[in-house]
Amino acid sequence: MSAYSLWVMEYAAVPDYPQSGLIYGMHNQGTRKLPYCYVVIKGQGQLAMVDVGYNHKAHGEVLANTYGVRGWHPPREVLGEIDIQPEDVSNIFITHCHFDHMGNIEDFPNARFYIQERELSKWVWSMSLERRFRWLMLGIDPADIMRAVDLARQGRLVCVDGDRESVLPGVDLHAAFDTHTWASMYVTVRNDLATNSQNSFVFCGDLAYGYENLRGHDPKDPEYIPIGLATGSQFNVIMTAEAMVKSVGGDVHRVIPPHEERLKDLYPSRITKAGLRITELALADGEKSWV
Amino acid sequence: MLDDATAAYIVENQRCFEDLKQVAAQLAGLLVLKAAGSKEAAPDHPTLGAARLLFREASDALRRTCPTDRARKHHAHLARAAESIGVALKETGGDLNVDRILIPLRAGYTELERAADALPGFEKVSYARACCGGGRVQ
Repeated sequence: MSAYSLWVMEYAAVPDYPQSGLIYGMHNQGTRKLPYCYVVIKGQGQLAMVDVGYNHKAHGEVLANTYGVRGWHPPREVLGEIDIQPEDVSNIFITHCHFDHMGNIEDFPNARFYIQERELSKWVWSMSLERRFRWLMLGIDPADIMRAVDLARQGRLVCVDGDRESVLPGVDLHAAFDTHTWASMYVTVRNDLATNSQNSFVFCGDLAYGYENLRGHDPKDPEYIPIGLATGSQFNVIMTAEAMVKSVGGDVHRVIPPHEERLKDLYPSRITKAGLRITELALADGEKSWV
Repeated sequence: MLDDATAAYIVENQRCFEDLKQVAAQLAGLLVLKAAGSKEAAPDHPTLGAARLLFREASDALRRTCPTDRARKHHAHLARAAESIGVALKETGGDLNVDRILIPLRAGYTELERAADALPGFEKVSYARACCGGGRVQ
């Protein structure tokens, strides 16, 4: 029995991203496809998402021309593939403040957005530092911050302080302080709604880019390998990986990195006419398959 | 093709553009905290002091600049951005009133975006070391 249907929706991709940017230490070892995805959580009368992608109007041309991001499509088109409209989404969990995760908030006019308060307050604090510290603000778009002001004024920005259980039935938020960012957040879906769930998934944002981060290069002798980019400490990244893997009973494939192309080898999926992949992790009772 | 004088203008003004963008981000960040009810949003927040200092430096730099004909439109946008952001900064004097600050701030940021579109070399977001920035193809 699954309480929620869960889909990973690709909305753009970099065909050849350097491995060293994703898995610590993989220098001079070529490239891989890096899909850009968000997650849909549907069931229990709820429609929620994890992250919203980037704003093509603001970033699309630069990303396409300079960094080889290809095939961006708007949420209306991407979500339309599973018969969802952006207006129907009521809750969105932002894993961190980078523009490619929270840049598209204006496309979801009726949603409440959850973010760690420390993620915001530490970004603001870091902006008080002198110019030579500007690396600490990488990936932040001032326009996104201004859009977040509007969200807050409308009462649609929920600042979370640490972990929060059952923000929706069976859905928990977990803070990962000083990791990829100041206060990244991962989302656990207990898909049997049980307190000690035997059927849970973790949506980890950029706390892991690929399965190497969670099990190393040799699945028979697993180890945690840090991600390629951390504002905080790699120690915290590794300890968060341990917490995430433990929370799904040790099955690393139930930790879902949205940038991991090999999800298609683990779960049913299909490619849309636009060339984007939909990966179906679970189907709630009565929900039809979209793959 | 850019003429040499305009290329020099671009190099000279990148810092000013970056600084104004930073001031806008600093103010916007404080407004998010304030609007979200954070106890950290106070008029004595260190970011506000940093914003005032940076704004003074950017304004001084802007006043020293002589645009070429090709850069005139860019410079006008930059000047209007500075004017609006300056108004927003003045509004931070007492309590942080989100509405009073946000209107000129948004106007200023819009002018920065227009400036970025008017000439090459002015990025709205620094992608150089962003998550997605590892795959530079140029």
